[in-house]
Amino acid sequence: MKLTSSMAYKNPQEIMFGKAIKPVITKRGLKIGGGNVIPEIVPHPRPGREKDKGTLIREFERANDDALERCVNVGHPYLVIENEHIYQMTNNPSWGGEIAAQTAHQMDEYKDKYGLIAAYRSTIADIRKPDIVNMRDSDQTRKVFESFNECARHSDIVSIESMGGKEIFDYSIIRNDITGMLFAQAILGGRDVEWIWKQIVKIAKKHNCIPGGDTDCAQANTAMFMAGGFLSKNIPHTLAALCRAISAGRTLVAYECGATGPGKDCAYENPIIKAITGIPIATEGKTSACAHSALCGNVIAAVCDLWSNEAVEFHDMFGGSSAAVFTEILGYDAALMNASVELGYQKQFQACLIASDRYRDPQAFILCPDNAWTIGKAITDNSESCFTRARAAALKCGELILGDPKMMLTAFENKSLLDYLKELDSLPDNEGDFIDICLKKYSKVKGFNPASYGF
Amino acid sequence: MTRLGIAIDIGTSGIRAQAINLASGEIISTAITTYHPIPGGNIIDHLHFALEMGVETAQSMLVNAVNKVINELHVQTKDVERIGLCGNTVQLSLFQGMEIRDLAYTGKRKLESLGVVPPKRDAAIIIARDIAELDLPGRCEVIIPPAIKHEIGADALAMIIQSGILEKNETSLVTDYGTNAEMALFHEGRIITGSTAAGPALEGQQISCGMLAVPGSISDIESIISGHRVKVLNSQMIPVEGYTVNINNGNIIDKINNSHPLGITGTGTIAIIDQAIEANIITIPRINTDDAKLHFGENIYFTEHDLFEAGKAIGAIRTGHISLCQEAGIALKDIRSVYMSGATGTYVDAIKAQKLGMIPSHVKTVYQIGNTSLAMAVDLVRDPKNLDIMANIANKLRKTYYMFASSETFKKVYMLEIAFWTEGMPMSLYRKFLKRYGLSDLLPVEKKPKVIRTVNRDIKDLGRMGLTIIPKIGRTTQAKFKGCSLLMKCIEECPENAISIIGDTKPATFALDQSLCIGMACKRCERVCPEKVFKLKDFFVRQNKNEM
Amino acid sequence: MLTLNGEIMKTKTSSIFTRFDINLEVEKQKVRKVSTDELLQEVADCVAEGDDDEIENIVKNVLKTKSPVKVIDEGLIPGMNEVTRLWDEGVYFLPQVILSSDTMIAGIALCEKRMGKLMEKKGKVVTHTAEGDIHDIGQVIVNALLNAAGFEVINLGADVPVDEVVKACKLHNPVMLTGTALMTTTMTAFPKIAAELKELGLNIPFVCGGGAVSEEYVISFDYGVWGKEASQASAMAEDALKGLSWQEIRNKWNG
Repeated sequence: MKLTSSMAYKNPQEIMFGKAIKPVITKRGLKIGGGNVIPEIVPHPRPGREKDKGTLIREFERANDDALERCVNVGHPYLVIENEHIYQMTNNPSWGGEIAAQTAHQMDEYKDKYGLIAAYRSTIADIRKPDIVNMRDSDQTRKVFESFNECARHSDIVSIESMGGKEIFDYSIIRNDITGMLFAQAILGGRDVEWIWKQIVKIAKKHNCIPGGDTDCAQANTAMFMAGGFLSKNIPHTLAALCRAISAGRTLVAYECGATGPGKDCAYENPIIKAITGIPIATEGKTSACAHSALCGNVIAAVCDLWSNEAVEFHDMFGGSSAAVFTEILGYDAALMNASVELGYQKQFQACLIASDRYRDPQAFILCPDNAWTIGKAITDNSESCFTRARAAALKCGELILGDPKMMLTAFENKSLLDYLKELDSLPDNEGDFIDICLKKYSKVKGFNPASYGF
Repeated sequence: MTRLGIAIDIGTSGIRAQAINLASGEIISTAITTYHPIPGGNIIDHLHFALEMGVETAQSMLVNAVNKVINELHVQTKDVERIGLCGNTVQLSLFQGMEIRDLAYTGKRKLESLGVVPPKRDAAIIIARDIAELDLPGRCEVIIPPAIKHEIGADALAMIIQSGILEKNETSLVTDYGTNAEMALFHEGRIITGSTAAGPALEGQQISCGMLAVPGSISDIESIISGHRVKVLNSQMIPVEGYTVNINNGNIIDKINNSHPLGITGTGTIAIIDQAIEANIITIPRINTDDAKLHFGENIYFTEHDLFEAGKAIGAIRTGHISLCQEAGIALKDIRSVYMSGATGTYVDAIKAQKLGMIPSHVKTVYQIGNTSLAMAVDLVRDPKNLDIMANIANKLRKTYYMFASSETFKKVYMLEIAFWTEGMPMSLYRKFLKRYGLSDLLPVEKKPKVIRTVNRDIKDLGRMGLTIIPKIGRTTQAKFKGCSLLMKCIEECPENAISIIGDTKPATFALDQSLCIGMACKRCERVCPEKVFKLKDFFVRQNKNEM
Repeated sequence: MLTLNGEIMKTKTSSIFTRFDINLEVEKQKVRKVSTDELLQEVADCVAEGDDDEIENIVKNVLKTKSPVKVIDEGLIPGMNEVTRLWDEGVYFLPQVILSSDTMIAGIALCEKRMGKLMEKKGKVVTHTAEGDIHDIGQVIVNALLNAAGFEVINLGADVPVDEVVKACKLHNPVMLTGTALMTTTMTAFPKIAAELKELGLNIPFVCGGGAVSEEYVISFDYGVWGKEASQASAMAEDALKGLSWQEIRNKWNG
């Protein structure tokens, strides 16, 4: 696998929401990244609905239908529905497959009846728990691929939130160990992404399905979640920011293996990915407050192609079911962005999105298109190995944060950041050396199985 | 002693008569009825009645009604030496007690199976004695004008003659805008006549709040800034301005005098449709108000069903015009002059009628010529030689009579009218179809024609003694039915409230107001009777012989 | 602000929102494609257009390559169904329906000639205008709509004696009989027909309508069902075909 060494976008000003250099077209003719921002709704079943297949299928049928119907009712022209598999849907591959088939049928009906253009993304659950199974050889592994097969037949897009490296990451983050996090994300994660995505792409192509992309949700979002809000002092927000920069190199591997986008919504590293690859991306911000809080609610929309809500549990609200309500919200956001494009004010609109969050938090700051592009440039300029590009991304990230006087940090965050950067500087320059050190250092970590990563 | 003559016009909707001084030709007095004595609102109803009850009964009712009208002329009947009749074929035949089955059935097969020999119905002068029960001196002359063909009677002939079209060399059209709209097209010396069953809507009947043109009826409406101003016929049958009303809800906006209109005439109906279309309140076939009705004051309204009825009548007339043009090989726009007769033709605002399609689009002059039938009868009384003129023309016209009922053109166009008035088919599509059928185009009105009213009311001269209106021409008769157990179903069922019960005899005595009864096509009273003893016929048996 | 207004006016909305309802309305108001085959679609379009001049050429041409059954089932009838649908939608009007029905019938006749036999129809309906009456516009409409709906119409025409109507019912055993009368003088034939049918044990719903024929009159005799509008004829015939009795049809449509 050759690592990317050049930027798709020559400068950050060119990156715009709704438009990607390499748009993709779904089975029903929906062009993602072709000029319009498209809402992507992600409904989740209520707890207990997984008790049997029939109940779960009905739950998704209702949720997905509500979303489609709301589009027609308020006039949103396009929609992507993502169903993120719950454990049972992948553990029983036929479940996910039947739900995909059912949703495809619903979408066909809405297209025939009303002309609504919709697409369906199946996100397979990565049920390979790194601390329990051999990631490359287990029943769970086989079920994951079987699920991809079942779903790709009916879905427009398949994705996964892969788990590679999570066992080391969890171990490291609570120990404030940036080296372990780098090893988990860049090396273990990178290797696992490569291994799994080469196979996913093959399966997807076989079924004329789009291999969407991955996300470092399992790690970078854990850091973001632990960093929390301004009142939370668990881990410094600067660490979460570095984690995000590191995750970009890991997620990038999927596209280097043939994934074409749209990237997964919860990959907050996607602005960096888009800057590097030119593929369309999904992002989520204020609209995903239903799932988790974040400090980049607007800026994360600045270069999105799909605009998502992460996940909302299906239940009734005053304005209809949550699936319908969030579809409506997402669609109106998309309409606003598309209207700015029509008026020729997209740069101004994007500026508003950026300005409202740029200095809110270092995590938001590094995802502003200019900074995301600069981090991407550091990644492509250091393409010798996954390790070198991840470290470069982290160092560039820290440099940017420290280099802008308007980016205010607490003393704790400031000091921590300086410490992390010092530690990153002290690491060996060669990936092989780094791996040797880490394999040794983390060999005793409970549940870490080097064979899972081909060591 | 003044030698007197009486002119009588027997129309479907009533009888009109005038007394004339034979020496001077002066008109002395006028009397009219607001109903026809025979139950029903159209000639088919009258024929149906005659078929069921016998022509003699129908004749008796009609002649007795004529006697009553003559009586109301307030002249000495012993001095009457001549009467001149005019009217449609059905009425004149009933008055004479002639064969009417050829009029009641249009199908040849049926007539042949019945062995009906259609009578000639030529011009004739008979004497009063020959007409049973006619209460005039026995030797009094009765002048009977000829019919052209059964649908086109002496009244149509009157219309053609009285209009004067035969004396002008101009493509012109005469139409009597009545229940049975007779029409004649004159083109290059040729006259083509036809008659279409327009229905009584244009005479104010079969309309929810419709009524004949009598004092107190709304004959016109006009849009003004604050609303719509109604025009109401006064006691002299002249339209005068009434109040201004919001037609959406019936609220009176300003009252310039104390008029209390009673209903809507045919001309009012036409004005209402035209004005409501102009105001975008009617989009055929819909009335765009909250209750889908237009309102013209307290309890006077106009419904979508009324719009259908009027539309079908207007459509039948327009279809007739198109068919006549087709037969003459001309286009509608070639017609230069139009003559409008009958009460509706006289009182209607011709410009409004033209906008609705009742008058061809490129006409230069419109003449509103009044009740030509009565005028013809007057002429016959004044100079019986006029009968020869009528006979001559009738002979000629028999050759060019155009039977709409069997005309493919008429059927095709009438179907377009049905679609236009009841389905809201756009005029553009209507015209496309006309083109496809190779028929005359319906062009929009370009220039308002000159409108000349030759009379200011449908009867030009009421005479020095003036007009008497006879509101109740039918009799109220009684009947008893053995086996009646007084469940009163007949009284409840009657749509016109014509039946009542009088006294407490056994069996009960029922009374029927014949002028309210709508006739043999209804008979709900009979069908609803639980004991099956009620017989409507019993009320019409001559001299009420069945009193027990 | 003025310039901004101007720009807003010029904005294309297609990327911002879609009026699915209006699109649907527009879509519904068009003749839909009924066949992927170009020639059969041409047949359907010709019926939808009501082009009775062209239908002969078009059908003859298609019959060179397609079976008559296919032309009927996949061209003529689907084309007519589109017309009926558009009429229900209020897009087409009665004269168009009649023209299309005539066009379809002309096309079917050509196909039948090729087949050497008549096509299978849904069921027979005998129609007539009352004895003594020649006002048959109502019947013309009824015939066209019944044809359009796929019924075999036994059209007895106008001025038909009672005996002939009864004879036709005996011969054809139709699912339904219709009678039209403009004149109340002639509608008296209807109860006579009904009585004779009853005597012969021919239990046939007898739909009567037109001009002065009232509901109250028609429901006063057995078998009688009042036809308020000519346009109801085909739906009533469908009911009769389904096996609804005259009482059931009357209950459904009258009162």
